[in-house]
Amino acid sequence: MSGAISVTKRKEFWSNDLLEGDEYESDLGSDEEHDVEMSGAHDSNSGVDHQDGSIVTPGELITDDPIWMKGHGTYFLENKTYSSVVGTVSRVNRLLSVLPLKSRYIPETGDHIVGRITDVGNRRWKVDIGAKQYAVLMLGSVNLPGGVLRRKSETDELQMRNFLKEGDLLNAEVQSLFQDGSASLHTRSLKYGKLRNGTFVKVPSSLIVRSKNHTHNLPGNITVILGVNGFIWIRKSSKMDLSNSTTATGSGQSDHLPGSKNAMSVSITRLEEESSWEIYSDKNDTVTVSVRQTITRYANVIKALAHCELGITEPRIISAYEASMAYGNVGQLIESETMESLGQDVLNSEKMRGAA
Amino acid sequence: MAKDIEISNSESKFILEALKLKQRLDGRACDQFRDVEIELGEAYGDVTVTMGKTKVQCRISCEVAQPYEDRPFEGLFHITTETTPMAGAQFENGNNTGEEEVLISRMIEKAVRRSGALDVEGLCIIAGSKCWSLRADVHFLDCDGGLIDASCIAVMTALLHFKKPDVTVLGEKVTVHPVDEREPVSLGVLHVPVCVTFSFFNPDDTEENIKGEHNGEISIIDASLKEELLRDGVLTVTLNKNREVVQVSKAGGLPMDALSLIDCCHKAYGIVEKITDQIQRAIKQDSIARNQYAHILSSENARES
Amino acid sequence: MSRFEIYSPEGLRVDGRRWNELRSFNCSINTHPNAADGSSYLEQGNNKIITLVTGPQEPASRSQVNTKQASLSVTINLTKFAKMERSKSSHKNERRTLEWQTSLVRTFEKNLMLHLYPRTSIDVQVHVLQLDGGILGAMLNGITLALIDAGIAMYDFVSGVSVGLYDTTPLLDLNSLEENAMSSVTIGTVGKSEKLSLLLVEDKVPLDRLESVMAIGIAGTHRIRDLMDKELRKHGKTRVENLTN
Repeated sequence: MSGAISVTKRKEFWSNDLLEGDEYESDLGSDEEHDVEMSGAHDSNSGVDHQDGSIVTPGELITDDPIWMKGHGTYFLENKTYSSVVGTVSRVNRLLSVLPLKSRYIPETGDHIVGRITDVGNRRWKVDIGAKQYAVLMLGSVNLPGGVLRRKSETDELQMRNFLKEGDLLNAEVQSLFQDGSASLHTRSLKYGKLRNGTFVKVPSSLIVRSKNHTHNLPGNITVILGVNGFIWIRKSSKMDLSNSTTATGSGQSDHLPGSKNAMSVSITRLEEESSWEIYSDKNDTVTVSVRQTITRYANVIKALAHCELGITEPRIISAYEASMAYGNVGQLIESETMESLGQDVLNSEKMRGAA
Repeated sequence: MAKDIEISNSESKFILEALKLKQRLDGRACDQFRDVEIELGEAYGDVTVTMGKTKVQCRISCEVAQPYEDRPFEGLFHITTETTPMAGAQFENGNNTGEEEVLISRMIEKAVRRSGALDVEGLCIIAGSKCWSLRADVHFLDCDGGLIDASCIAVMTALLHFKKPDVTVLGEKVTVHPVDEREPVSLGVLHVPVCVTFSFFNPDDTEENIKGEHNGEISIIDASLKEELLRDGVLTVTLNKNREVVQVSKAGGLPMDALSLIDCCHKAYGIVEKITDQIQRAIKQDSIARNQYAHILSSENARES
Repeated sequence: MSRFEIYSPEGLRVDGRRWNELRSFNCSINTHPNAADGSSYLEQGNNKIITLVTGPQEPASRSQVNTKQASLSVTINLTKFAKMERSKSSHKNERRTLEWQTSLVRTFEKNLMLHLYPRTSIDVQVHVLQLDGGILGAMLNGITLALIDAGIAMYDFVSGVSVGLYDTTPLLDLNSLEENAMSSVTIGTVGKSEKLSLLLVEDKVPLDRLESVMAIGIAGTHRIRDLMDKELRKHGKTRVENLTN
């Protein structure tokens, strides 16, 4: 980080502010969680009052050093930059922003999300993804029965409700963002599409940490999709889930098949073969009572983690799941005392592991 | 919902640019109140106030009624404000729950009724059973901004002008004497509150307004309709001649420096003094005009001849 | 009312405070994480208020869509059991409630960065569980906290308090006994500045005393801002710790 920039250079800098700002903002997201951990890693500039990762509140002066570009969560007057939200200060290159502790989900390209169809419109679906505005899923961004190479015809437009209708849940990826920040989705991969055989849990989006993989196979033949938007789907593992699993789960007792294929490397021929009407089926497979119990247990465990405001990650879910085995009755898990003790258990076991 | 009036972007920019140069569309100075014209009607308590193009009529009427049980010594006094599309397309017919309508009626209510401008105890006829029920109906005939200011003047002038029929009480029996039989009596008005409305505009960015030092906000008195539509904040001050602040309302809008708000209150006092005098002059002229034959009718004349 | 001594010669008020003392102030945020995007619970003396913020979200109806900025709405629910005597009406369409709602919307419209959220709506609900004077100021504080909890960008805190004038002495933060006995002024200040976003004088105050009343009010709001700020930081710290462990 260059400490001093001459005044003349700064003028130039101002004029480019907007253009550059956008660029930096877009790649900011991927480093988000990384930044918080980075606290104290940066050297301090003279005149900078707030370190990376320190908490600021609205209206608070962050810095009066003019070299910083103003990112999200800030506003400025002359040389002074103020915070507009409660959050942690983040510095990436020369971009200064404040990451709010909690806010509605802000979509970013590449996010794996879970959403609900709210509206079927002209060649598009409106999807509630818990963001500021509904996301759009274009008819052209979904796989239709009959394979990818098939052309979309007028009949497809007329029977959009046969694919996805109001109330359906689906998981998808954010394909791109519009000018106003709303998202456009796509489901052009086998891991995306309509959701079945399970239950839905909603947690604050700030508790889900963006990572490479958001679909996890958990012990007990369960698959969980941790949507970045805080929408979570817990379901009975399907054959595809098991064959796609790549990451070894944190616990040794995972009973799924060893990872054989990468989800990303599904060949086009395979895709074609799978893209049958079945992917838009509304019928659940048979789910046994014991699997239903396990799904409920996971759902309640996740609620407990959210109650304790703990970040929700795969190891934590498993750790809390194991701790929850002490309670025979699944319904007992959502009593507030139990939830708090579960949260404590998770933190304790993390500390133990860290110490070991 | 009634359609709001909209100003084109270029015109709003033009008005704001002019305001920055302390120029207003109608050529007034920033702190100049429009000339107030008070017309008194044939009947007692019929007043029309004109300020520029704004026109408000107030009519007072009364009837005998029963007082509230918890206030046996007080008469009843209601102010009703009726906004109709007559005043402008932005008002809706028969629906008085719009933001603007509620604010106007609450403001007049606070300025006149709650401040005790009218001596309600003077409306009592027999404690606990009979009293005068007084109604002030405010009609907005035309709107070019400043409705609150104009209606407050109208209501107060009407109250000063109004005369209620004389009554005689004999035990429980009450006789109301028609106006043509016996000279009616004036109401007891304790003080004359006058509203002055300031409008604020922010010439700079919001950041400057919140964090800046130099308080460059523009404030103007008695905005016209166009200025009202563009303003960022509004302050209504109600004062009387005794240097009492009856009511101040700055319900949100542009944050303003405390000292400049106080300064506004002091500016308002000058205007209030002037308007109060004008109201009293109008009332006086009217009573002289009504009694122009008094010297002819007087019995003194007859004896002299 | 006359049996109470509103302000004793020794300088004590009905509840034992001095002229420049606030009532006890407690607040917490994120009290209803499942029901709303932002929430707060606030106690200012015996005032108890729950505030919920939902949004920015897709507007419920087409007519609410504003392409330039978010549309803000405030609904006040003054519960029937909020006062000593149970009230018969729900206060919902009372002019006073409508006026408060409008005032609160207009206050926060200028303090939120609504232009960042075009085509969305932000809805604020205020539930008054218990009412004891200076409610408008308390509502300002509650809404500020809930909006911050929702992560909605704002320029600065808005904090509110009421001040009364007893003879010539200004009294800070009135309870309802005092509020009924004297004229009161409600002040809403932006951050630590001397800029007033809201100023309501409801009864007669001598023009020349207004300045001293406002001065003590501004000092009171700054103090409340600090108390809210402290709570936010405390909450933020535990949150960050839990998340990054």
